[in-house]
Amino acid sequence: MTSRKSFRWFQAVAVSALILGASLPVTAAEMGLYAPRVSESAALIDPDAAFWDQALAATVSMLPQVVTTPRHPNAAIKELRVKAVHNGQWIAFRIEWNDKTKNDRLVVDEFGDQVAVEMPVRFKKDALPSPMMGNPGGRVDIWQWRAAFQHDLEQGEPQVRDLYPNAMVDTYPDQVLRATDARPYTGAVGLDNPISHPIRTPVLDQMAEGWGTLTVEPDSQDALGKGIWRDGVWRVVIAHPLVSAGESDINLRPGDESVAAFAVWDGGNREVGARKAWSNWVPLELAK
Amino acid sequence: MPTVHNWQIGREMEYPYEGARPKKQFAMVMDLNKCIACQTCTVACKTTWTPGRGQEYMFWNNVETKPYGYYPLGWDVNILNKLGVQPMEGKVYKGKTLFEAAPAGERVLGYLPDDLDYAHPNIGEDDCTGLMGQGAYLTMPHMQWMYYLPRICNHCTYPACLGSCPRQSIYKRPEDGIVLLDQYRCRGYRECVKGCPYKKTYFNPMTRVSEKCIGCYPAVENGRQTQCTITCIGKIRLQGFITTPDRAREDNPLDYLIHVAKIAKPLYPQFGLEPNVYYVPPAHVPPAFLAQMFGHGVPEAIATYRKAAQDKKLLGALLLFGATPDIIHHYKLEGRYTVGYDDKGVELVRVPLREPIQVRVEYDDRHQVHRTNIT
Repeated sequence: MTSRKSFRWFQAVAVSALILGASLPVTAAEMGLYAPRVSESAALIDPDAAFWDQALAATVSMLPQVVTTPRHPNAAIKELRVKAVHNGQWIAFRIEWNDKTKNDRLVVDEFGDQVAVEMPVRFKKDALPSPMMGNPGGRVDIWQWRAAFQHDLEQGEPQVRDLYPNAMVDTYPDQVLRATDARPYTGAVGLDNPISHPIRTPVLDQMAEGWGTLTVEPDSQDALGKGIWRDGVWRVVIAHPLVSAGESDINLRPGDESVAAFAVWDGGNREVGARKAWSNWVPLELAK
Repeated sequence: MPTVHNWQIGREMEYPYEGARPKKQFAMVMDLNKCIACQTCTVACKTTWTPGRGQEYMFWNNVETKPYGYYPLGWDVNILNKLGVQPMEGKVYKGKTLFEAAPAGERVLGYLPDDLDYAHPNIGEDDCTGLMGQGAYLTMPHMQWMYYLPRICNHCTYPACLGSCPRQSIYKRPEDGIVLLDQYRCRGYRECVKGCPYKKTYFNPMTRVSEKCIGCYPAVENGRQTQCTITCIGKIRLQGFITTPDRAREDNPLDYLIHVAKIAKPLYPQFGLEPNVYYVPPAHVPPAFLAQMFGHGVPEAIATYRKAAQDKKLLGALLLFGATPDIIHHYKLEGRYTVGYDDKGVELVRVPLREPIQVRVEYDDRHQVHRTNIT
């Protein structure tokens, strides 16, 4: 069963992180996350799996993003309930929060629910990157789950008629042209923009070194996950291998210490991009 | 916030980035006295660039009826209302621009339209300001009026879409000033849709990112004018490049119309974006409305325009509208002609200043038919 470790080392390093992160108060940091080792061998993506009972939930306070523009002082979600586990191969976070509305339809004035986990690519106790998406030289690995991607994987990507049932169109270029000739009319889809549609998983594997630098790792999409919305609660799992080949991926072994931070977007409150709630670093320890 | 110079409002203003003018600036002049809202430009643009999935209600070029037509619904009255009443007398604008009026924590004052605001692209078509009473007759400016306003992206010198994007996914090309939105880098935050007061960036729900007018850059790179320009049957458009007023070249038809004759005016210059599409104001519309829409100098512009027949240089520039699909860099008057040249000095087009009158005889002997003379 779970043992609660002391995260006293974190008290000192949190201060150095905060110098980079401006005036973020120490709020989420006190509890810490301890990831017990579970025997489940497959990727740990089921939010309702029994193994989650082996982990203690930490309450992570979420702060409105008010440091860089556009600021968002009225962020809807104030706290997350987070559990972490690992199985020697994968680390997984189960994140729960209250959200009265499930938002997974994307049109100009509708935004999707999202949640993200952030970890330093190379963890050094005395030199943490900024919890606010890293800093130049302080690269972070960011895994972002999207409700719209979850919808696509379960129910198929919406077509125009799904979003607008009465839409009438004579002809699309792809109906009368060869695929190569029709490609210029497909915009971001034709360019394989990674946010246009999900690739196997509802979680985007990304890296960042500060605001505005968030980049989907082009050759290393390793993050998995699953989200379920039930009775006004999102329960989302985000999982990532402890070790993977990409140079912007985490590299952890059982028994290691690191930190994790979180961000969450309530689509119903028109939260997207910088308009979000985020947390400070939360200390994390993996059981041996 | 850095300070930049905006010649349209005659002063320095705040902008999120340092000012760096491109080597050339894409620009267009549209003569609103000639537009009949046939929507040929809209269709030309639509079939060229936006026939794809998710672009069904996306019109990079649209033509709306003013004052009651809007695409998207209420775009200009909404942002004017948010900006509030501002002092607009004289050449130096003393009110606030949208950058200066930005709320705390925002880069620009803007708003996100509702999805349904795009559902009626031609709402208000041909709606006049009111009914004509019994016995009324037209006076100038007209007591009841409407006019057509064709719109594309203004490829602004200080774009609010570019200024709003937290990812710098939007950029202004240094070679021609065209503003483009990187379809790979965009993440669909819609900050640009919110920030652009002209609402000329659009969210595509199929690709989940935003898209915008690309100024037909593949054509412009090859010396051709945009699709909306060369297909205009009313010949109301001229597309080329504009220089700043201090460097205006009289032999550039756009510079002549905008800086020398001053008959073409920017759309809502008070927003502070230095838009690069210019309009010859409609002569029959009340000056107060036109002053709000096109800034200072509108009555003078209309007076000059009315006398264009007496000003050969101005007439020569106006006659180049729709005369060639190629971009005219220089023009000069040669005898009875106005002649347009490309950037290498090669003649592109020769237009007579006075169209020769042909009179047909009423009875055509050769074909043995009667004809109606229509010149």
